[in-house]
Amino acid sequence: MAVSESKAATPADLVTYARGRLLFRVIVDKAMGWVLLLAFVAVLFPLADMIYWISAKALPTFSVGTLTLDQVGTGGGLHSMIIGTFIILALSTTIAVGIGVLSGIYTAEFAPRRVAAAARVAGYLLAGVPAIVLGYFGFYLLVIYTGWDYNTLAGGITLGIFMVPFIYRATDLAFTNVPRDQREGALAMGASRFQYLRRVALPIAMPTMLSGIFLAMALGLGETAPLVLTVGWSNTIPQTLLQPTGYLTGAIWNFYDFPSTYGHFQTLAFQAAFLLIVIVIVLNVLIQFIAERYRRKLRGLLG
Amino acid sequence: MDEPGPPAGGFIGPAQTLSPPEKVKERLSWRMLLGSPVALLPMILLAGVVGVLLYASSLHNFGWSLWSTDWNWIPPGPGSSYGIGYFAIGSLITAVLAMLLATVLSLAMAISIVVYLPTAPSRILTVFTDLLAGIPSVVFGIWGFVVLAPYFGEHLEPSLRDALYWLPGFDGPAYAIGGGTGILLAVFVLTIMIIPITTAIMRESLRAVPHSAVEAGLALGATRWEVVRRVRLPMARAGIFGALFLGFGRAIGESVAVSMLIGATPQIPPSIYGGSYTIAAYILDQQDSAFAYPLLLQVLVEFALILLLISIAVNVVGNRLTGGSRERSPRE
Repeated sequence: MAVSESKAATPADLVTYARGRLLFRVIVDKAMGWVLLLAFVAVLFPLADMIYWISAKALPTFSVGTLTLDQVGTGGGLHSMIIGTFIILALSTTIAVGIGVLSGIYTAEFAPRRVAAAARVAGYLLAGVPAIVLGYFGFYLLVIYTGWDYNTLAGGITLGIFMVPFIYRATDLAFTNVPRDQREGALAMGASRFQYLRRVALPIAMPTMLSGIFLAMALGLGETAPLVLTVGWSNTIPQTLLQPTGYLTGAIWNFYDFPSTYGHFQTLAFQAAFLLIVIVIVLNVLIQFIAERYRRKLRGLLG
Repeated sequence: MDEPGPPAGGFIGPAQTLSPPEKVKERLSWRMLLGSPVALLPMILLAGVVGVLLYASSLHNFGWSLWSTDWNWIPPGPGSSYGIGYFAIGSLITAVLAMLLATVLSLAMAISIVVYLPTAPSRILTVFTDLLAGIPSVVFGIWGFVVLAPYFGEHLEPSLRDALYWLPGFDGPAYAIGGGTGILLAVFVLTIMIIPITTAIMRESLRAVPHSAVEAGLALGATRWEVVRRVRLPMARAGIFGALFLGFGRAIGESVAVSMLIGATPQIPPSIYGGSYTIAAYILDQQDSAFAYPLLLQVLVEFALILLLISIAVNVVGNRLTGGSRERSPRE
C-alpha cells in the first residue's frame, strides 16, 4: 500500500502495461481480420448453393432440344423464349444506347455545369425507380392506355427506360474521366470539339462505355417485373411486335410454382434459370476483361 | 484587309482548315448534340414516369381508407375497401430487416477488402460480389422457393422458434411457419440481393478516406483495426449511411423474389416466420386482374405512386450522403 503513495507507476510499470496492451491490441487486430472474413462465407455460400442447386435441377434433362424446341403442353424446350428474350433485349438495348450515350456525352462535354448536375441527379433517381413501378408505368401507358394489350414493343420500351440510367452514367463517367492533358493537347493542336470527341475521347472512353452497356444488358436480361407487366406471355414466337412473347425470366416466373411432379414445367423453369446464370456470368467476364484492358490502356496513356 | 483573326470561340473553336464536307459533318454533329436537349432525356423520362402515374392517379377517390388496414377486396367494386396498411407494414419490415442484415455483412466485407486483404484475393472477392449483383431476382426467387423454403419450413424455422422464443417476433403460432415461405425467407434472399450495392458503396467510401489521416493513425502506432474504428469509420460515416438508404430503396422496390417468397398474405404477420405481403409484390401479382377490374387498376396506380415517392425520397437522401455517384463506377 505504501508503494502507491509514492508514485502512480514507475517507467518499468508503464512498459509492462504497454506491452500487455500491445499484445491485446495486436490480437484484436488480427482477430478482426479473420472475423470479418466470415461475412464472405455468409454471402458466398448461398451463391454457391444456388448455383449448385440450379445446375443440379437443370442439367440432367438439359439437351439440344432445350434450346431448339418450342414449349408444348408441359414439355418441350425454351426456343421461343430465347428468341423472345433476344427480340426484347435488341429493342431495349437500341433504345437505351441511343438515349444513354447521346445524353451521357452531352452531359460530360457540352452541358452547362448546372444542367449537367441536374441531369446527373435525374440519372441516378431514374436508376432508383423500382422496376415494378417502371413496369406499371409501361402497363398503364403502353398496354392499357394505347389499347395494344400485352405486346413485345411495350416490353422493349419499358426495359429500355430501365436500362438508360446505367448506360448514361457509364458514358458520362467515361467521357468525364478522359485525362485532362489529352483533351487540352487535342484542342491546342486545333482540333474541334467534335474531332476531339471522335478521335481522342471516344477510343479512351469506349471500354468504360461498353462495360456500362454490357452491364445494362445483363441487368435488363434478368429483369422480370417490367416484362410481366408489359409483354404478357406466349409460347410461340411473335409474328409482329404488337403480339406478346415468351422470355426466359418469364419462364421461371410462370412455371416456378408448379409441383415438380406436374409435367416438365418446373424443370423448364430451372433450365431457364441455368441459361440466365450462364449468360450473366459470360457478360460479367466480358465486363471484367474490358475493364482490365481499359486499366492497361490508361496506364499506357499516363506513361 | 479582311485579315482572318483568331476564331471567335478562342482556343476551343473549330479549326480553320476543315474541308467543306468535313465542315458539313461538323455542323451536323454539333447541331445533333447541342441543338437537341439530349442531356435532359433522363430528366424527361423521369418526369414522364412520375407524370403518367400522377395523371392516372385519383387519390381523392379513396380518401382515408387507402391509408388504413381496411382490406376487403373481393369483389372489387362498391363495398370493397383497399387499405395499403398491411402492404406498407410488410414492405417496411422486410426492407428494414434486410437493410440491417446487409449493413452488418457488407461493412465487414468492405473493411476486409479495403484494409485487411491483399490485392489479389480482394479483387477476386469483388468480382464475386459483383457477380451476385447480376444474378436475376427471379433466379433467387426459384432457388428460394424450391430449395430453401422446404428447409426453412422443416428445419431452420422450428429450431429458431425453439431456441429464440424469448425474442419478440421469433415466437408466434406454429402454423405461421407453414411451408417455409414468409418474412424470414424473403428477408434472407433480399439481404443477399442488396449486399452487392451496399458493399460497393461502403467499399468506395472507406477507400475515399484521405491517406494522410490513415497514415497519421498508423504512424502514431495504431493497429489497422484501431485505424478502422477511430479514423476510417467516422470519416466514412456519411457514405455508410448513404449505403443504408440506397440498400433500403432497393429492398423496398424488389417485387419478383419477394412475391415468390413472402407467402402473399395481407395480414399483420403473427411472427417473423409468418406470411406477409409488400406493396411491390402486390402490384406484380395483381396487375393481371386489373384488366378486369378498373377499381383495382386505380388502386395499383396509387400503390405504384406511393412506392415511387418513397424510393425517390430514399434515393435523394442516399445520393446526397454518398456524394452522388460520379466518382463511383456505374455498377452501383
